[in-house]
Amino acid sequence: MEYAIRTESLVKRYGKGFTALDGVSLLIKKGEVVGYVGPNGAGKTTTIKILTGLLKPSSGHAYVNGIDVTANPRKALQTMGALIEVPGMYDYLTPHEMLTYFGKVYRMGSNEIDRRIKETLQLVRLSEWEHKKIGTFSTGMQRRLTIAKAILHEPDNLVLDEPVLGLDPEGIRDVRGLIRQFRNEGMTVFLSSHLLGEVAEVCNTVVFLNKGKVVSSDSIESISSSLEHGVVDVKFLRPLSGEEIEELRAIELIRSVDVKDNTAQLGYDGKPESSVQILRRLVSSNLDVVSYHVEGSGLEDYYISVMSDEKGAN
Amino acid sequence: MAIRSESIRNDIFETYLSVKFELVKHLKRRRLPIVAALAVIVPLIFYVSVPDTAGEFAATVLSFLNILIIISAAMFAGDAVCGEFEKKTSLLLFPTPQRRSAIFAGKYVAALLATFLVVFLYYLVMTLQTTQLYGWGQIPTELAKSFLTALIYSAAAVSVVYFFSALLKRSISSTIVGFLFLMMILPIVSLILMRVNQEPWFIVSYSANLITDVLGVSGGVPTGPGEHFPGQNFTPDFGVGIAVMIAYAIVGLVSGMVIAGRKED
Repeated sequence: MEYAIRTESLVKRYGKGFTALDGVSLLIKKGEVVGYVGPNGAGKTTTIKILTGLLKPSSGHAYVNGIDVTANPRKALQTMGALIEVPGMYDYLTPHEMLTYFGKVYRMGSNEIDRRIKETLQLVRLSEWEHKKIGTFSTGMQRRLTIAKAILHEPDNLVLDEPVLGLDPEGIRDVRGLIRQFRNEGMTVFLSSHLLGEVAEVCNTVVFLNKGKVVSSDSIESISSSLEHGVVDVKFLRPLSGEEIEELRAIELIRSVDVKDNTAQLGYDGKPESSVQILRRLVSSNLDVVSYHVEGSGLEDYYISVMSDEKGAN
Repeated sequence: MAIRSESIRNDIFETYLSVKFELVKHLKRRRLPIVAALAVIVPLIFYVSVPDTAGEFAATVLSFLNILIIISAAMFAGDAVCGEFEKKTSLLLFPTPQRRSAIFAGKYVAALLATFLVVFLYYLVMTLQTTQLYGWGQIPTELAKSFLTALIYSAAAVSVVYFFSALLKRSISSTIVGFLFLMMILPIVSLILMRVNQEPWFIVSYSANLITDVLGVSGGVPTGPGEHFPGQNFTPDFGVGIAVMIAYAIVGLVSGMVIAGRKED
């Protein structure tokens, strides 16, 4: 199987003392949106810089669509768009001038460049700024412009390194919306971030990195399932009577019932199938259910448990 | 073989794109218009005192050209390499399907072309002035030789500043160091050597005297870094001087390219 992005035992050493990456192997399928998570200094940006040809690995290989980035960067990077850290901007140029240059670098024709500039600037809501100097843009606008540059040539793969760093809430919302759109269009996205909420919201899979090593890797779905506590919070339209509470207790899958006014916490075995059955029974009963929520820990808790396991191992 | 020729074609195309982009940047940052305006305005100042012959006038006007070439090299090559790393525009520019060496070669060529344009404008204005003051027939025949020498010196100056741009981390440092190296340090070394009766034949600013020396007249205003100091008898040999300029151009460019290629973000 050809992966969109693949790394084999990547190692990056600086001098003799510091190892930024220590045998990182990644397999990212086409169309996947993968979150690359870890504390500051874990090696996320180093991995991304190797994937985009900015750094050479001390050993190991990085492939984009099966092409070795170090051996053939020109071909490998043709199908990749990248936003790395907070890049500087050519303040004295306009988006049109800057994107025209990059369009030519990607061997696009003049008509195609003009069409894509219009499309991408519209996508990042900068159409009206096409011929204004970039130096007059806000931080959020500049970041959106760098995303426009990354997708100008309609890449198959997009690598984003901390794309919302330094943005205000509105800018964060805009960038997340764009990533969701790319995901829906079937683009492979490799998203490095230390904001777990962002990763949980937009990614299918998460890779956890610590001290240059992959410490865990799983789909968001299975991480979420593993985090479920076996408790559902149910809100009813009105406070439950004693009879209705007994009715709840009678449901065989429910192990415990804790009622307070019009809400109840129902204990069960934690299996998703059981949760579905309980919901069905509640809906078919006379109890008016307003909301039904399976309790679970956030990705933050999982992150802390993974990182602390690693600490213990060390 | 076919793969190699395609790779060379790609390198040439990418270098061409880089040259074009750099020239657009020099224009948009108003550096090119400013230095070009200097090249047009400065010769006009020499109307203040008009010598008797066209040769003397040309030598007087060209005595400022050394400084203009150094200013031009510092302006166009000073941030060619380090500027991309310092301002982090490298994070936009490098993760693209083009070779870094092609980008850096393009930056050098753009700086060179911009400096050539400035030199060309300077000679053009000076030639027009000479024609207006002394008539077309009085224009020194050695002017073409002087022009070619100025172009070769431009390549040497651009290479020296380009080398500092690759070596140092900050644009302001590389621009100032490059400027001072050509403008002060090398002429001071030349002066010291001449004081101890040694010909500084290997110093490029000494070789730059050829720009006016080839005209075969005296009378230049001592404003340039390579201008003769009173009481000194050395005059650069044309062949040696040109060879020294070419050597500085090649060594500066090659070492600059090697260092630039090894720089990491």
